[in-house]
Amino acid sequence: MSMRQDNSISRKLTWMNMLVCGAALLLACTAFIAYDRVTFRESKVLNLSTQAQIIGSNSVSALLFNDPQSAENTLSALKAAHNVLSAGIYTPDGRLFASYSRDPGGQILALPSIPSGQAEIHWLKNDEIDLVRSIVFQGKPTGTVYIRSDVEELNGRLRRYAGIAGIVLSACLMAALFVSSIFRKSLADPIVRLAEVAKVVSRDKNYSVRATPTRDPAELAILIDAFNEMLAQIQQNEKALRKAHDGLEQRVLERTAELEAAKKEVEEFSRSILRAKEEVERGSKFKDQFLSTMSHELRTPLNAVLGFSDLLADERYGPLNGKQQRYVSHIHTGGKHLLSLISDILDLSKIEAGRMELAIESLRVTNTLGEVISVMQPLAEKKSQVLTKQVESDLLVRADSTRFRQVLLNLVGNAIKFTPNGGRIELAARMVQGKVRVEVRDNGPGIPPEEQQRIFEAFYRLRETGKKTEGTGLGLAITHRLVELHGGELSLESQVGQGSCFYFSLPVAVNVSEAPSSKVEPTQKQTRRPRVLVIEDDRAAAHLIQSQLTSAGYEVMICLESQNALEAAAQFQPGAITVDIVMKPKNGWEILSQLKRDPRTQQIPIVVVSIVDQPGMGALLGADEYLVKPVEKDTLLAAIARRINNRSAAAPIRTILVIEDDAATREFIAEMLVAQGYNVATAADGAQARAQVAATLPELVILDLVLPEASGFELLGEWRANPRTADLPIFVLTSKDLTQEEQRYLRAHAESLFHKQQPWHEALLKQLARVVSRDAAVKV
Amino acid sequence: MNTSSLQAGIRRALQRYLLGCWPPVAVVLLALAFFGSTGILAQQPKPSEYQVKATYLYNFGRFVKWPGTVPTGKGDSFSVCVLGQDPFGPILDSTLAGEALDGKPVVLRRISKPQDAGDCRILFISSAEEKHLKEILAALDESGVLTVSDMPGFARRGGMIQFVLEGDRVRFEINLASAENARLVLSSELLKVASSVKRSGRSGD
Repeated sequence: MSMRQDNSISRKLTWMNMLVCGAALLLACTAFIAYDRVTFRESKVLNLSTQAQIIGSNSVSALLFNDPQSAENTLSALKAAHNVLSAGIYTPDGRLFASYSRDPGGQILALPSIPSGQAEIHWLKNDEIDLVRSIVFQGKPTGTVYIRSDVEELNGRLRRYAGIAGIVLSACLMAALFVSSIFRKSLADPIVRLAEVAKVVSRDKNYSVRATPTRDPAELAILIDAFNEMLAQIQQNEKALRKAHDGLEQRVLERTAELEAAKKEVEEFSRSILRAKEEVERGSKFKDQFLSTMSHELRTPLNAVLGFSDLLADERYGPLNGKQQRYVSHIHTGGKHLLSLISDILDLSKIEAGRMELAIESLRVTNTLGEVISVMQPLAEKKSQVLTKQVESDLLVRADSTRFRQVLLNLVGNAIKFTPNGGRIELAARMVQGKVRVEVRDNGPGIPPEEQQRIFEAFYRLRETGKKTEGTGLGLAITHRLVELHGGELSLESQVGQGSCFYFSLPVAVNVSEAPSSKVEPTQKQTRRPRVLVIEDDRAAAHLIQSQLTSAGYEVMICLESQNALEAAAQFQPGAITVDIVMKPKNGWEILSQLKRDPRTQQIPIVVVSIVDQPGMGALLGADEYLVKPVEKDTLLAAIARRINNRSAAAPIRTILVIEDDAATREFIAEMLVAQGYNVATAADGAQARAQVAATLPELVILDLVLPEASGFELLGEWRANPRTADLPIFVLTSKDLTQEEQRYLRAHAESLFHKQQPWHEALLKQLARVVSRDAAVKV
Repeated sequence: MNTSSLQAGIRRALQRYLLGCWPPVAVVLLALAFFGSTGILAQQPKPSEYQVKATYLYNFGRFVKWPGTVPTGKGDSFSVCVLGQDPFGPILDSTLAGEALDGKPVVLRRISKPQDAGDCRILFISSAEEKHLKEILAALDESGVLTVSDMPGFARRGGMIQFVLEGDRVRFEINLASAENARLVLSSELLKVASSVKRSGRSGD
């Protein structure tokens, strides 16, 4: 048997047998010994009782006739009983009468009382049995016997029993061992063999072994048979499985090889894609750079062509004869066409390249439509066409304002172009299915169905067959793409002879952010009206003057406390001051002389408006006008207007600095401004501009963004950071395609922004007149 | 024997038996045991010589068997007689009062003539009758009367039981032959405690 059988079933069987046997025997022995102990004690007590009785009856006469000697003789008979330790006889009154002790010097017993009605009591204490018996003679208590016995005999008996029990126990265990070894053969051995087989199976995965069949215990026979059957089945299954497994392995190998190849292909492919992507990216980057460069490089010379032809046409530098005028006009028209062609091509390229960025905002549709109509109205009028709009005033749309306008301008332009004289063109917008549907409808000749599909293609031109038409052929294509970029689709409904309707839908906006509807719209800074400070301590008089000035468009500030007048003037920096003379605590003369002494206010023209008629005194103290109350409104306004204009004339004439690197453009702008009567200085690069502004502060700066030495952005940043130039009006005029980021920056830091791509001359001049009107303007 | 140690022993024993049951009961019983024991121990007067002799006289009756044919005189009583001058006085009366022997109530009679002793079972013969002893014993011969006396030489001269003094102790001698002559059977127990026993005829000490 192997070591593993420490816990085996045969060992367990043996143990079980031994344990059961041992436990039963032990229990039996214990019960027997306990019983024997009890019965032995009972017999011992009975024995003692008998002895006590004999002693008692033999001691009666000794007690009655007071003969202790005789009683002791009787007691000495107890020597024969080895277990009696000591004994005593007592008189009825409790006196010790005679005593006996087995061992010399043994103790004399103290007599306990016997409960009445009992002849005898006994008790066990410290391995000793005490027995007390009263002596009764002829019905009369005569005395008491007291015997104490040890139980040494009992202990000896118990020891003997223990020995016997031990011997019996070991004999039984031996027998049990023997019996179990017999059982093991028939019961445990087959199980052990079965376990060994199972072990072999589980360790070696060898399913060909079989357990030895047995017949003895029927259940075990069934178990072994079932086990063998199971093994056979497993063996069979395993064989099949292995066969399948082998096939599978082969297939997996093949498939892995295939996959490997495919993976290689994919990797190769992805590498090539990556290369292509890099190339595309590189190409795209070049394209972007090219587009950006082209937009700048193409427009700059064209601007010069257009600008100078314009100036020539104005005959400012001498009259032109008919031919010259015609040629100049051809140059101008050709240039304009070229410019729009270039713009369209660049736009289209930008859209195609996915570089078109939209600044989507909430727009009021009616505003944009109105702008478009106001721009196109002159063209329509030329052809006696009626241009109308039909739109709800509070309709909002989400769109890029510039591009939205461009789309509409294009569609309306086309409509005007293709609709015969006296036609009708309608711009309409309304809500359709939660979106804003914008329509441009004309009653022109219409578009045949076969052309409707192709009309949005680039370079496709309607009625190519001869009739001369203007335009690049790109307009509709761009428009179509722009609408797509807005998330809509440009569609067409047309019937030949009935007219056409181009329409598209845009997402509706919830609220409108009142962004400037145009980039050339002046910011608040430039809309400042001339300001007048009214120094007058009479409230009613002050308000009269204020209402008169306000009606004429002045911005008025009233100062009712004469002592604060100087500070108010210095802070408010008005275009003119009216001052009363009779005031408290400071009178008008004092204020007048103070204002003229203080460098902050000495430039400001002062109009005295007083009941005091002392113009000489006023002139002496520096008053520019002297009006005696009551003053007519017209007289007051005339004096103020005179003084404000006078003042600007008197002020040192400052210049407009044109910063432009392209010589032709620079010269053209300068010519244009000079022609308008402005004093102009120029700078060809960033460094020059920086130096000039540092030397003398110009009235206004027209700034190109793309410059050598220092870019327009840099200059703008520097000047805005410097307190001296923080308020310097700056117009940005550029042909650069601006990102939204740049546009935002410019809107925040420049007064106005003009794109050279679009017609800008007039807008610039208009804006310039507005800003500079207060000071340098209108010498004309 | 030490009184207090005895009390302690009793108390311990009682505690062992009773404390387990019910403490109040144990306390009550302890108290009873205490007073009871002191009560028993309190009565220890030294008995006088004649008190002892009176008790012995009665006890002799318990160890002697009278022949069945003995006429019982008045029948229903057991007579103890004193012949001659009575040395006991009232002690004997009190000792025998209410006692019974041989299944009959004991009756004490004081007589002056041996002829009156016919129905006596036990006869105490006063020392004063020493001169007339021979006549008295002769009169009683074979009449089944147990003769007792404290006169010297009584047993030797044919009396049955004679009190003798050994120091303070009262003992007795027995003349078994005289008793056998009178067909009385004396218990071996009685013989065992006698100071001497005369057995064959009048062989003397």
